[in-house]
Amino acid sequence: MMKLEFGEFLAAPECKVVIVACPDVFRTEAGLRHGKFSSEYRELSAVIVLDPTDMAKIEVKDSDLVEVLGEEGVVIVRVKESEKEHPGIGYVPEGAWANVLGAGPASAKVRRSQQGIAAIEDVYHR
Amino acid sequence: MMVCTGCALLCDDIEVGENDCRHACRIGDAHITSTNQIDPMVNRSPVDMDTAIKSAAEILVSAEKLVFVGFGNLVTEAQATGIELAEKVGAEIKTFHTGIFDDILDGRVKTCTLPEVRDYADIIIFLGCDPMNTHPRLLSRYAYYPRGEKRQHGWEEDRTAITIDPRFSHTASICKDSYVIDPHRQIEFMDALMDALLSKVPKTAYDKKRILKLAGTLKKAEFGVIFAGTGAAAPPRDAIIRLMDRLNESSDFRLLSLAPGYNLRSIAEQLRQLHSRPTDDCDVVDSDSNSGGSNGGDGGIDLHKADCILCLGFDLMNSLPAHGINGKLIVIDPNETLTSRYADVVIPCAAGGIDAAGSAVRMDGEPIELPLIRESGRLSDVAILKRLLEVV
Repeated sequence: MMKLEFGEFLAAPECKVVIVACPDVFRTEAGLRHGKFSSEYRELSAVIVLDPTDMAKIEVKDSDLVEVLGEEGVVIVRVKESEKEHPGIGYVPEGAWANVLGAGPASAKVRRSQQGIAAIEDVYHR
Repeated sequence: MMVCTGCALLCDDIEVGENDCRHACRIGDAHITSTNQIDPMVNRSPVDMDTAIKSAAEILVSAEKLVFVGFGNLVTEAQATGIELAEKVGAEIKTFHTGIFDDILDGRVKTCTLPEVRDYADIIIFLGCDPMNTHPRLLSRYAYYPRGEKRQHGWEEDRTAITIDPRFSHTASICKDSYVIDPHRQIEFMDALMDALLSKVPKTAYDKKRILKLAGTLKKAEFGVIFAGTGAAAPPRDAIIRLMDRLNESSDFRLLSLAPGYNLRSIAEQLRQLHSRPTDDCDVVDSDSNSGGSNGGDGGIDLHKADCILCLGFDLMNSLPAHGINGKLIVIDPNETLTSRYADVVIPCAAGGIDAAGSAVRMDGEPIELPLIRESGRLSDVAILKRLLEVV
């Protein structure tokens, strides 16, 4: 019989944020230098910059993975702790990951995730 | 000296060696040295160029709701050929982010050249844009750091740069002042600033004292410049124009657009000329999207309903929330993109200003010749579009 861990069926805490897509010169560079299907581009694209208070609400720390549930889709991205205060706003680099969530500024829910960051081909379907 | 087509600054001081690329920014260096090229493909299988062009022509001829998107990363000559092709096959042209160029070209707002910014600008506003991440050399070549003819003390004393943006951006971190605005309350901020410019206490939840201070700074400008972004982070275009009108009641401000693509101003100019033709009976419609909405335009054919989309130097899927594209996709691009991965036909072309010569128009309207950096044997975008024009 499979052993269940404590809290396995408890929903991860969520917080609501407005997603703002932002340019990132390093991401643009990675896309040109390594290609848009490279791991370098993915690591710099699948990111959300969150305010520390929002991170505390969903019990995540810097570099943890979170699920972002947008108006039009869901993505798994890595959390980056913001140096500036901006509660309720999540900054995501411009590009496919941000686009999956909907036209900006889009409303979204964020919660902790156990899944890994998907390849761009799996994020974006035609 | 070479010209970099990594962005609309078209930096003309680039030196390309065997193994290095001097003076270029991160984007420019990666753009010039990129080896991420694609092969001609039909239905995601490699083919020769002739087959790819023939397949593209067949799709173009049989489609009824055709849309051409992009144009911002094509040389001027290719844009002209693309317009001819659109006229011939009855396609709609969608150029994104050209709205502010239209306002400038129509004379609705004052503008200036980048050397004028360098020589005369004392107050510089970065509105809904982050040039440190999109046009990395703007501040060092023109907008902030250099000594200009009337600004010999440069940024230390002669210039005040301010950001107004939904994020405390990298550009904000080096400016003297920054205003972080709520992404859903951008118009409220703009209206408050316009009230403050009339010396009224604004009715707003934003910090009134700071907005009055900002208005006081702007009113003192001898030569003010607003660099406006064109994406979702920027205030709506009509709010920017209203702010410009209010500023110019008491001061002297000019507007420049910081849009993606190295040659977007040129396509805006060409389409404006096309529509001002006295006997304009063509079907070409240009629809611009300031917000990058999901249907990719304020009017015309919804991209979801198009039965064929020709992407010209434009990574549609990486640029718009373009879910549910159902029509055939044709891509003409120098590099592999997310869109090319899903396209029905992929036609690789030489990159303007790298392995294809041509001309372009800088973001401030200055025509620039783009010499060849290296030979590659790839067909230019002009040559490909001309071949399509011959067979459709």
